[in-house]
Amino acid sequence: MKGGVQEWFGTLARLLVGGVWLVAGAIKVPNGAESVRAVRAYRILPEAIVPTVGHVLPAVEIVVGLALIVGVLTRVMAIVSALLFVAFIIGISSAWSRGLQIDCGCFGGGGFDADATAKYPWEIARDVGLLLLSLWLVWKPRTRFALDSLLFRRPTPAPERSDHAERPTTVHG
Amino acid sequence: MPNDRPPSTAERAAAALREQERAKRRRQFLIVGGVVAVLLLIGGLTAFAIGRGDSTGKAVDASGTPANTDGYSVVVGDADAPLTMKFYEDPQCPICQQFEAAVGEQVQTAIADGKVQVAYHIVSFLDDASKNEYSSRAANALYVVADAAGPDVFAKYHSLLYENQPAEGTAGPDDDQLIAWAVEAGADEDAVRPGIAGKVYAQFVTNATDQMSKDGVNGTPGVFIDGEMQPDPGTAVNAVLQAIQ
Repeated sequence: MKGGVQEWFGTLARLLVGGVWLVAGAIKVPNGAESVRAVRAYRILPEAIVPTVGHVLPAVEIVVGLALIVGVLTRVMAIVSALLFVAFIIGISSAWSRGLQIDCGCFGGGGFDADATAKYPWEIARDVGLLLLSLWLVWKPRTRFALDSLLFRRPTPAPERSDHAERPTTVHG
Repeated sequence: MPNDRPPSTAERAAAALREQERAKRRRQFLIVGGVVAVLLLIGGLTAFAIGRGDSTGKAVDASGTPANTDGYSVVVGDADAPLTMKFYEDPQCPICQQFEAAVGEQVQTAIADGKVQVAYHIVSFLDDASKNEYSSRAANALYVVADAAGPDVFAKYHSLLYENQPAEGTAGPDDDQLIAWAVEAGADEDAVRPGIAGKVYAQFVTNATDQMSKDGVNGTPGVFIDGEMQPDPGTAVNAVLQAIQ
C-alpha cells in the first residue's frame, strides 16, 4: 500500500474501531449494575474488583473510542485498544471452553444466553478483526483527518534549516 | 577543552537550533499532557457517573427489608419437606412465564403435599423491556405481599402475576392492578397499597438481583434442585417435574 492509501486506510480503521468502542461504552453507562453482572458472569476476576471493573471498563471504552475517532494519541490508544481486545478474546474463549452459556455483554446485556455457544465464534472473529485493525494503527498511527497531525505538526520547516546549519559544524569538527 | 574564541556563526546557529528543538519538545510535552488530562477527566467523570447510578449493595434497613424473607428469597412450603428448590425469577421474563406455565401448578400441589419447599428469589433486571418498569414494580409488589400476608398468599400472587404477564416492550399493569391482584390472592388492600405504590423494597430488589449473579445465576429462570443448578430452563422443567412426581 502506498503512503497516501495507508493513511486513508488508517482513518477508516480509526473510525471503525473507535466507533465500536464508543457505542459499546455508551450503551453501558445508564446501567452500571448490569455491566457489573456481565463482568461477574465470566467468573474470571475476583469478586473484590468485579464492581470496579464493571463501572470503569465502559469509561475506558468511551475514552479509547473518542480518542480514536478524533485521532489523538493514536498509537497509545491503539495499543490500549489492542490489549482490551486480547483480554476480551481470552475472556470469551475461556467462557466458551468452560461451557458457560453467557451473552458476552459486549454491547450491554450479558447473562445467560441459550444460543451462546453458537455466537462465541462470531464474537471472537469480530474481536480478532478489530484487534488486527488496532494493531495496524499501532504500526501506522499516521492517518488522515487526525487531531494528532494538527497537534504534532510534521513535517515542520525546521529540518530544512538544520541541514544548512549542520554542514558547517561538521567541517569544524 | 577551553576555547576562548567567540562562537562562530555556525555554532550560534547550532545553539539556536538546539534551543528550538528544546522548545518544540517542551511544547509537545505540554500538548501530550493536556490531551492526557482531558481524556482522564472524561474517563474519570464517566466512571464516577456509572458508579453513582448503580445503587447495588446499598444497605437496606429493617423498613427496607420485607418480613417472611430468607436472604433474598420468599420460602414457601414445609421446612421439613424432603426436597428443596430455588427459583430465581424476574416477573417480566417470558421464559420464567413459560417455566411457571409448565411446572407451576404441579409445584404448588407438591408444596401443599409437603413434598417440596421452594425459595423464590424474585429479582428484576428487565425494566428496559417494559414501558413502565413493570419488572421492578412487580418484584417489589411480590415482596410487599410476602411481607404483609405471608408466603402462602405470596405463592398465589406469584401465580397470578405469571398468568397475567405483560408482553415485553409493552406497558405492564399499573400499581392499582398490582394491588387488585394482591387482594385477589388474599392480601389486605390497606396493608399492601402503601408498599406497592411507594416501591418500598426497590433497593432490596436491586440487592437481590446482584445476589443472584453472585450465586452464579446468569439469567432467569435460575433453577436449583437440592442445591444443584440446572444448566438451562428446558432441562429445569423436566428435572423439576421428575423430582416432584
